[in-house]
Amino acid sequence: MSRHALPEELPPRTSRRRFLGAAAGVLLASPAAVARVAAPATFGLTPVFLDSDLELLTVLEQYLSESLGRDVALVKRRTYQEMTALLLSGQIDAAWICGFPYVQYRERLSLVAIPIHHGQGRYQSYIVVNANDPARSVEDLRGKIHAFSDPDSNSGFLVTRHLLATMGESPASFFSRTFYTYGHRNVIRAVAAGLAHSGSVDGYVWEVVAEIDPDLTRQTRVIRKSEWLGFPPVACNRNYESSANVRGLGHALLSMSDHPLGRRVLAMLRLDRFGAPDDALFDGIAAKYDFVRKQV
Amino acid sequence: MTRWRSPLTWPLTVRVPAAVAVLMILVATAMSTVILRRLTSDQEAHLSELAGAYLDGLSTAIAPAVLRQDVWEAFDALDRARGRYAGLTLRYAIVALPGRSVLASSDPRSFPVGDPVTAALAGRLDDRRQLVIDDAQKTALLHRPLLDSGTLIGHLIAEVDIAKLLQVRREVLRTLVLFNAGLALLFAVVGYAMTRRMVGPIKLLGVHVERLRGGRVEAIPQERLGDERTEFGRLFHRFNAMAAAIGEREALAQRLAGEEKVYLLGKLTSSMAHEVNNPLGGMVNAVDTLRKHGDDVDVRRRSLDLLERGLTGIRNVVRAALVTYKGGDQPDRLTHGDIDDLRYLVRHETVRRRIRLDWHNSLPATLQVDGAAVRQIVLNLLLNACAASPVGGCVRVAAARDGDSVRFEIGDEGPGLPPDMAALLGSASPEAPSAKVGLGLWTAARLLNRIGGTVAIRTAPGKGTTLAIVVPVTKGERLDAVA
Repeated sequence: MSRHALPEELPPRTSRRRFLGAAAGVLLASPAAVARVAAPATFGLTPVFLDSDLELLTVLEQYLSESLGRDVALVKRRTYQEMTALLLSGQIDAAWICGFPYVQYRERLSLVAIPIHHGQGRYQSYIVVNANDPARSVEDLRGKIHAFSDPDSNSGFLVTRHLLATMGESPASFFSRTFYTYGHRNVIRAVAAGLAHSGSVDGYVWEVVAEIDPDLTRQTRVIRKSEWLGFPPVACNRNYESSANVRGLGHALLSMSDHPLGRRVLAMLRLDRFGAPDDALFDGIAAKYDFVRKQV
Repeated sequence: MTRWRSPLTWPLTVRVPAAVAVLMILVATAMSTVILRRLTSDQEAHLSELAGAYLDGLSTAIAPAVLRQDVWEAFDALDRARGRYAGLTLRYAIVALPGRSVLASSDPRSFPVGDPVTAALAGRLDDRRQLVIDDAQKTALLHRPLLDSGTLIGHLIAEVDIAKLLQVRREVLRTLVLFNAGLALLFAVVGYAMTRRMVGPIKLLGVHVERLRGGRVEAIPQERLGDERTEFGRLFHRFNAMAAAIGEREALAQRLAGEEKVYLLGKLTSSMAHEVNNPLGGMVNAVDTLRKHGDDVDVRRRSLDLLERGLTGIRNVVRAALVTYKGGDQPDRLTHGDIDDLRYLVRHETVRRRIRLDWHNSLPATLQVDGAAVRQIVLNLLLNACAASPVGGCVRVAAARDGDSVRFEIGDEGPGLPPDMAALLGSASPEAPSAKVGLGLWTAARLLNRIGGTVAIRTAPGKGTTLAIVVPVTKGERLDAVA
């Protein structure tokens, strides 16, 4: 796999921190605020969206720790579902999740920061096919194999699910077979390799991969781009939104472009900066979710 | 085109290296076969080990994904395992469900998700063996049933490119062939050099034996004789002893020839004395008659005629003897008369045995040949012919110029030339004279060889013999002869 792939596990040295992070989560639920002051901050990431290398993780952790003035542990889970569970159970301070889980648990989660890409906090979902595939429209994909990234991903599932719903179809009725790759980059790989005929992928990820690994994206072709929707946000448990760790993390993210290490992180992520929360950005996703939910 | 010659007739210097090279090739072929066989079995064992490691590792990694029927995880595991096993060049790997439909493959275009494993591939699978090698296709098929608590949950199938292994075999074979060919060539060259060195003395001996056969008795030089304790040293010393003996025999033969000449001279002298004596009585009578009746013109004329005839006869005999045995004024020339004079030298034989000479001499006045030798040859053959012919028989002699040579034919009515005599005359290096073959004939044969003449023999028992002698005329004489 390419060096840009995120490892399955964090380096061993972070395991102790993860344990502490989990312990801190437990403590967060308790009223003993004194204990929480010195507890390390925990920040969740999933490979579904963030697909990067050790260097990014190291620099991000270093930047956040420096910015907060305390240890920051990066917590990784395979799926959005696991990550959302950690957030909702208060086991981590904040996490970079997707707009879809956010709108699902809008009343229990708070936005911490919105990544700004090309000047806006929004992105698109792409439907890609293999470069050699003659398909021109979504209709051409009927009866084929489709790859989703995550059942809780907006761009990697909900957008296509919604599109099919508007056509009176469901993934099971429209495609011959679907599977989840739990990573936008994996969707691109699956389509490039021919494992799936088409895939639903985060447009921002596809563009970044096109810059970093053009040989991979060149084997795919975008046949549909969705409307602009809220960029996967950094969110926290609403109960802890004013905790020192969350506020510290929020500040660190928003002022990332002021710090050399932060700028390195932004450069690696191809992001302009992190912007202030804007709940309205996710209305589009919420509308899709509602539509799909009603159809079921 | 050179005709194929049996290897048994090849020189030793070729035969020995060739035999060494052939032997080397046989040994090399046997060795190469053993090495290649060993290499093949080693390669297969190694491939089997690698295949086992690959299947073990992959089946462990992939089993959970197969249980969940997770297409991506299965594909990802296959994709990650690709290239992780150095020495295994995977063409494709397939994870199939128990019903042999594809869950995922490393080559989804050839083996799409959900499709059944192709019949052709399924036919090649052998459930009892994890490795099936197909040299013709240059592939090996790996197969491992995936089990979970004893229940079949799927199949792991992979095809490995073994072209590299086959190429290694080919390269090893090529190296073996090149190395062994080089070795065979080296052995052949060394063999050639050694044999040449060993055969050298035999060649030297061969040269000397050949010279001996050609009549040149020549001992092997002292510096090349070598140690008498070695085989060749002994052989050379013996050869030299033999050569010395032959030389002595040759010298003896020469002396005998000289003695024969003296004997012939004696015979000639006596015949000359006879020839001179014959007219002497008449001549003495004539002188007496002249003294008594010299005044009578008629008597005087008859007596003087008689005297003249007698003296002429004597003069002819003396002159012929002088030319033959002392050499003429010009020994490198032959005159017409030189041949005619021979009649006088054989006259005692012809008269004694009443042999008629049928004489045809059409030679030009002079010829540029070794006159002394030619006269000696013709005389000896003529004497032989007279001796062979019956009393009252006829001996034919014809001498004529024939282009660039002179041709003499001597024919008799004798019982025919005995084979050993004919062989002696025709031989390029006449054997020393024996009791059977007279010195005269031997001398003629030797002289004939010396002046480059040839002899053609026509003979049949009881029907006489005709010897045709052809002697080349020396170049440069032609103009002289024409002029």
